[in-house]
Amino acid sequence: MTRPIVLALVGLFAPAAAALLLAVAPALRRRGTPAAALTILGSVASFGAALLLLADRLHGGPAALATVPWLRSGDSVIAEIGVCADGVSASMLVVVTLVALCVQVFSLGYMHDEQPPSFGRYFTYHALFLFSMNVLVLAPNLLQLFGGWELVGVTSYLLIGFYFRKPSAARAAVKAFWVTKFADMGLLFGLFVLFAATGSFRWDAHLAPAVATAVTLLFFLAVVGKSAQFPLHVWLPDAMEGPTPVSALLHAATMVAAGVFLIVRANPLFEQSETTRNVMLIVGAGTALFAACLALVQSDIKKVLAYSTCSQLGYMVAALGAGSMMGGFFHLTTHAFFKALLFLAAGSAIHAVHSNEIDDMGGLAKRMPWTGAAFVIGALALAGIPGFSGFFSKDLVLEVVEHRLGHVPWIALLGTGFLTAFYMGRVVVVAFFGAPSGEKAAHAHEAGWSMRGPLVVLAALSLLGGAFTAPFARLHGEPYALHLGVGPVLAAALALGGFVLAYRVYGADRRAAPAVLEGLSKVARSRAVNRFYEFGFHRVALVVSSGLAWTDRYLVDGLINMIGYETLEGGRRARPLQTGLAPDYVLAVVLGVVGLAAWAVAQ
Amino acid sequence: MTLSHCLLLATALFSIGVYGLLTRRHAIAVLLSVELMANAANICFVAFSRFRGGSGQLFALFALALTVAEVAVGLALVILLYRSHRDTRIDLASEMKL
Repeated sequence: MTRPIVLALVGLFAPAAAALLLAVAPALRRRGTPAAALTILGSVASFGAALLLLADRLHGGPAALATVPWLRSGDSVIAEIGVCADGVSASMLVVVTLVALCVQVFSLGYMHDEQPPSFGRYFTYHALFLFSMNVLVLAPNLLQLFGGWELVGVTSYLLIGFYFRKPSAARAAVKAFWVTKFADMGLLFGLFVLFAATGSFRWDAHLAPAVATAVTLLFFLAVVGKSAQFPLHVWLPDAMEGPTPVSALLHAATMVAAGVFLIVRANPLFEQSETTRNVMLIVGAGTALFAACLALVQSDIKKVLAYSTCSQLGYMVAALGAGSMMGGFFHLTTHAFFKALLFLAAGSAIHAVHSNEIDDMGGLAKRMPWTGAAFVIGALALAGIPGFSGFFSKDLVLEVVEHRLGHVPWIALLGTGFLTAFYMGRVVVVAFFGAPSGEKAAHAHEAGWSMRGPLVVLAALSLLGGAFTAPFARLHGEPYALHLGVGPVLAAALALGGFVLAYRVYGADRRAAPAVLEGLSKVARSRAVNRFYEFGFHRVALVVSSGLAWTDRYLVDGLINMIGYETLEGGRRARPLQTGLAPDYVLAVVLGVVGLAAWAVAQ
Repeated sequence: MTLSHCLLLATALFSIGVYGLLTRRHAIAVLLSVELMANAANICFVAFSRFRGGSGQLFALFALALTVAEVAVGLALVILLYRSHRDTRIDLASEMKL
């Protein structure tokens, strides 16, 4: 085994070992703190291995692949299982393990008030999640990626529903599970088609144009579900019922990025279909704009960030649709850092104020300088202010999208940039500046170092992430140069404009409700998309399935039951024939002989 | 006397035996009917042997010996029936029904 393989295996199995140990040793798990220590130890090992692996790759080490046969059919191997350590998986592994580590350390402080058993359960889920995500990231073929994808879905369900005694959390978990499961059918059927066409699950197969379009469109359905793109974005805002660090890890930085990662991984397939890429461009840009509009009118700080996540994932999908793997993947990386930072800072604020509503906060920057600074840095990076990491990645995205489909997606994304700055400006102004709006906000204070440390690390990455652009481009074999043209200047001006406007509107009156936004909040409240699904579920799916259930119960089962009943009834009717009296049997014998004789004569 | 006369006699005896078997309720009477049927068969053996040749007479002797054994078993059954039911009418014994 070569060094990269060993590193990849350590990265994969360190969290798995922690999860397994905690699963089989309830005594350890119920004590709480040992569970947290084990999980964090696993993440540290995984992160260390990932860093070494990335360093190897950056120094031009060879891509490594180690597999063992998994599914066999006769003598041929249908699928293999193993690890693939190349540039894509190494960089994604670093992002995932780093954010996971930060979030787990943050959770030490955030979840401190939980009872030890549920504290231990929380960290067990985290170890399981990190393992699942690494299975997905290190997959050497799309079938193993699908396995990791589903495992991630299950752990997401467990973590959203962590407060399962709260009905809304349980419902949100089920909803997230069902919506993504519906979308995952696309990945499954895409794999079927891919296997039927090529006999393998490799992502670098050459396909006929029609097959390539079918496979990639099916894959894209799964991406739409997992990465919360319109119209399957409905589960993500609800998923905010989970603990805030979970939202930071799963529903901002890593799990929802798995959809984008699938496109990056299967990029050779997606490159073969122009149709799919145009669909991606339209869906991505549309989602970016639509979700940003909804984020404008949310009053729950986590919901703002959730819609913002949908919107930023839209950027990535659009960039990949425009054919730039580098653009989409780099925005994924920077977004993972600054969005995790924003969620953790929001978590810190929520922890202090005990409310998600930005109207209950106010003036927090003065009382919680670390949190305030972290949130502001995250907001500036998210909006793409020059110098912050978000600027560089958004610049890459806008550059590739600019000339596609008659500039429409480009304009949509520029507009989204403005809206992003505006809604982030609103949250910053309302929640972190001005006067505190209540008793709790007035007495908010910074939490311990376990919560501040991760904020510092992620803030540094959000601030300096742009410096990674060139190495990142080299890793993926694409040239990179910051091009200074009308695009970046326009984007930066719009971002600044958004912040200034937000300050002008909300700085004076924190509860200001501009008339333009009234209509939007009606749209947000109408839950049109949700109602569409509810209609589809109650009026279509339930009616069809109850019809099928009726057919099954009364026609199929009925036929079988009737045969059984008639057999019993026939036996019951034949019973009087057996009298137990010898003369009757003799009569039967005589009649039989007479019958036989008559038959013989007739012959 | 021809073969036909003998066969008619055998048929008559056999039919009387069947009639008795079906109508009699008394175990002894049923046994007697069975004997009648067996002897009808014996008459056939003897008659065919007499008019057509062959070893039918020998067979009739064997059949007589078998009939004796059969009667012994049959009477034993009647005695058992009587012991268990205090009666020998066979339409009272329905133990063959489950």
